Amino acid sequence: MKESNIWLKFRIFTVLMLFFAAFMVVFVRAFQLQVVEREKLRTIASRQYFKEVTLVPKRGAIFDRNMKELAVSTDAVSVYAQPERIENPREVVNVLAPAIPMDRRELMEKINRNRQFVWIKRKVDFHAAERLKGLNLDGIGVLTENKRFYPNLQLASHVIGFAGIDSNGLEGVERRFDDYLKGNAYRIVDERDAHGEAIIKNNIDRDAAARGMDIVLTIDKVIQFITEKELNRAVASTRAKGGVAIVMDPRTGEVLAMAVSPVFNPNLFWEYSPRFWRNTGVADVFEPGSTFKSFLLSAVFEEGIAAPTDRFFCEDGVYRVGDRTIHDAHNKRYGWLTVTDIIRHSSNIGAVKIGEKLGKEKFYRYLKEFGFGSKTEIDMPGEASGNMPHVKKWSKVTLGTISFGQGVSVTGMQLVTAFSAIANKGYLMKPIVVKSVIDRDGKVAKEFNPEVRRRVISEETAVKVTEVLKEVIKEGGSGVKAAVDGFEVAGKTGTAQKPDLSAGGYSEGRYISSFIGFVPADNPRITILVLIDEPRGEFYGGQVAAPVFREIARQSLPYLGVYVNGRVVKASSLIPGIEYEADSAKIAPAVVSRGIKQGDEIVDDHSSGGNAYIMPDLAGKTVRQVLKISREIPLEVRVVGSGRAFHQDPMSGVRIIPGAVCEVWFR
Amino acid sequence: MIDRRVFIHFDWILFVSAMLLAIIGIANLYSATAGTGSSLYIKQSYWLIIGITAIGIAALFNYSQIERFAYFLYGMSITLLVAVNLFGKTTAGAKRWLDLGFVSFQPSEFAKIALVVMLAKYFNETSIPRQGMSIKDLMLPGFILIVPFVLVAKQPDLGTALILLLIFVSITLFMKVRWKTIAGIAAAIVPFIPFAWHFLKDYQKARLLSFIDPKLDPLGTGYHLAQSKIAIGSGGFVGKGFVMGTQGQLKFLPEHHTDFIFSVLAEEWGFIGSVVVIVLFLIIIMWGLHIAQHSKDRFGTILAFGVSALFFWHVAINIGMVMGLLPVVGVPLPFMSYGGSFLLTSMVGIGVLINVSMRRFMF
Repeated sequence: MKESNIWLKFRIFTVLMLFFAAFMVVFVRAFQLQVVEREKLRTIASRQYFKEVTLVPKRGAIFDRNMKELAVSTDAVSVYAQPERIENPREVVNVLAPAIPMDRRELMEKINRNRQFVWIKRKVDFHAAERLKGLNLDGIGVLTENKRFYPNLQLASHVIGFAGIDSNGLEGVERRFDDYLKGNAYRIVDERDAHGEAIIKNNIDRDAAARGMDIVLTIDKVIQFITEKELNRAVASTRAKGGVAIVMDPRTGEVLAMAVSPVFNPNLFWEYSPRFWRNTGVADVFEPGSTFKSFLLSAVFEEGIAAPTDRFFCEDGVYRVGDRTIHDAHNKRYGWLTVTDIIRHSSNIGAVKIGEKLGKEKFYRYLKEFGFGSKTEIDMPGEASGNMPHVKKWSKVTLGTISFGQGVSVTGMQLVTAFSAIANKGYLMKPIVVKSVIDRDGKVAKEFNPEVRRRVISEETAVKVTEVLKEVIKEGGSGVKAAVDGFEVAGKTGTAQKPDLSAGGYSEGRYISSFIGFVPADNPRITILVLIDEPRGEFYGGQVAAPVFREIARQSLPYLGVYVNGRVVKASSLIPGIEYEADSAKIAPAVVSRGIKQGDEIVDDHSSGGNAYIMPDLAGKTVRQVLKISREIPLEVRVVGSGRAFHQDPMSGVRIIPGAVCEVWFR
Repeated sequence: MIDRRVFIHFDWILFVSAMLLAIIGIANLYSATAGTGSSLYIKQSYWLIIGITAIGIAALFNYSQIERFAYFLYGMSITLLVAVNLFGKTTAGAKRWLDLGFVSFQPSEFAKIALVVMLAKYFNETSIPRQGMSIKDLMLPGFILIVPFVLVAKQPDLGTALILLLIFVSITLFMKVRWKTIAGIAAAIVPFIPFAWHFLKDYQKARLLSFIDPKLDPLGTGYHLAQSKIAIGSGGFVGKGFVMGTQGQLKFLPEHHTDFIFSVLAEEWGFIGSVVVIVLFLIIIMWGLHIAQHSKDRFGTILAFGVSALFFWHVAINIGMVMGLLPVVGVPLPFMSYGGSFLLTSMVGIGVLINVSMRRFMF
């Protein structure tokens, strides 16, 4: 027993040594991981954290005021590689390069990077995604990301802006409302971090919970379309540098349309120079010219300085103020003119005389009240405030030139907002372009209601000014070409020489032609500003910009359900080109032609003399079927993608004329 | 039965080490589940109080009484294992828990202690041949193992089955087995390895494969290991601080409150924290072997040795796995991993060691 006891103790000692040795191994391992390799493992830990961050929730959509989609996020496939897992890079390149497609050398370079994860190509097109589905390559994988898609192409692109590849808003509303559209990215990061891969499968609602909020604009897609079409047509026909047209509801300050020329396609924004992205209606300033006389008039009437019938002597066309000699346009030589006539003929000398009677302090005060020289605070990035010299710096000359809109600079948005105050009984509204923000449950999270800034003039004054501005459109006025059949228009033309920024003074032959007006004059529904930048040939606002006003108003008013004196306006006279949605409740029954019905068939529109057709619904059709239909109308079709049609422009139910261009997207 | 000497000879080294580990364990559990609104650490605290009572009971009466109850304890554990197979609660595809209404209980934990006690009694009463045991001598103790082993493996709970097997192997080798027999058994097992492979579940195969090559499945099973290593390593020398860990806290690390609890500790307390905890385990195990060595009788020696082996295998396999030295096997870390039954078992084990320790002075 004694011997066995010693033996047992020896055995225990042996075990003790073995156990101790095992623990030493554990110590060494702990030392290795926590002291020797800590930096390396820390880097991996932080990289893991960041990797999760790059996964972005689905971006919210942007709608027009009637919930028509303007910007949507669709799923897009991105290809990545895990270089460590690729055994035969050459083979992978051989198969993958033609499928994406991609340059072989570039692909090989990416695969050979010494990294855990490399993007091969982000957001490949439909064809490539289809081809990639069939491939099964080790170390190559695809991830579904969301891709921004603007189904209406260039429509309202300067308002909407666009989002970049990582789904961050870069311009326009996309940028201004990025925080809402993006969704609560940080919360998502937590969720992602919290459970890594495993939970993604369990948490089906992840996408819904993570989704960004939707934005509803005040823009009306139909009016936007009309506005862009007419502006672009005028810019093209006058070979102008560009232009801006803004349509506003004067009662609310809501921007119904905002067109900028030249246009760009936000789906391919990177193909355009950044100057094309610029929303010149908000970000650029210009000298307003004669349209500014409307505000002089408002101040004069409100102050009771002059009545519409008061006469001013227009100096037979030559008037010296300080060191400057002022002439009237067209080298006209006016004698005595009433205030109304001064506005109607747009006499600069008359305006200067009225301004002198008003005095600079009062005029300055009214201009500030109308909002000139300060931002309108519209929800758009990059707004300019314009330049309005302080009254202390005004000389006699300054007072004179500002009276006819020179020596002061404004933005298009300032001008249309201020002019709308005249239409809105003197109340200046805050311009709004975003109506509401809708959260992921479909509830309104934030609403932008019409907001009165202040009352600038009395209703009585507003009516007086309107009466004078009506005369501008009548026979003998400078804005006759703005007259809309059946409606009374109040407006003002403007033709401003562009300042010569390099040489100083004003440059010869470079003008901004403008027209601003509201209609119907006595119960205004829309204010429209049209600016044409450097038209060639004809350059007077009344010749170049006024017809654009007329066309926009003529097509928009019936769409808005506005008719004068109960007159039924014939459909045929309304529609020269495209648009009007047959299903829109806003069109009074009398206007909707009996021949219109929705469906696949192309229906002859008898009421318009058989010249207009209804755009058929092409959804789900193949390219071949679409081309067949297009030959019957006939319709010029631009095919985008392949497969089956999922989107079309113009949309179904819209009136079109034969030969109209139609864009159809397939996938 | 209880006399003054019990308190004089009470083994404070074991008790304090175990208490320190249990308290660190609960704090760590709090950290691991912080921000999830979980109250696991409170539950674990209740179990700790029950466990301290169990130490008292296990230490109070003479361990020779335990020997007398060996058959009863063993029979009881087998009955409970059968019961769990019949009436057990199925969680995550395994029947491991007996629901007693107010509390769930894991009979397989109890089986570990029962096996140690039963083997200690058996080898105490059997004389071992001078040159060691042969296959024939191993038949009966082998039977003592195989019954609970099969029942546990069937649940399935491979981690616990493995521990049972290792306890058996440790004790029998300790009692001396012929070299020829060892060689013979080894030779007999090798051809069965591919056969056994078939019996493994897919996830178990994946675990083994990913241990051999972690890149095989970086997002699946290799993920556990990779994440655990990242968590431990990113803790560095002094750690990120209590409740400050990112890998464990943000749950990159799955099962961080049970089998992978050590990585949470190592991440937040660094190398220093790891060393403290490992040293405490080392003290318990070394001291357990010391108790075995100095026990007044053979039963006490085998009993203390068996319990020490039980602790050793748990600690070695768990920490080895967490640090990427061993494949992933579901073996919890004593006093640290969440689980009431196992905490109780560990406390009873400590109680048994204290019991043997105290009475070596009483002849």
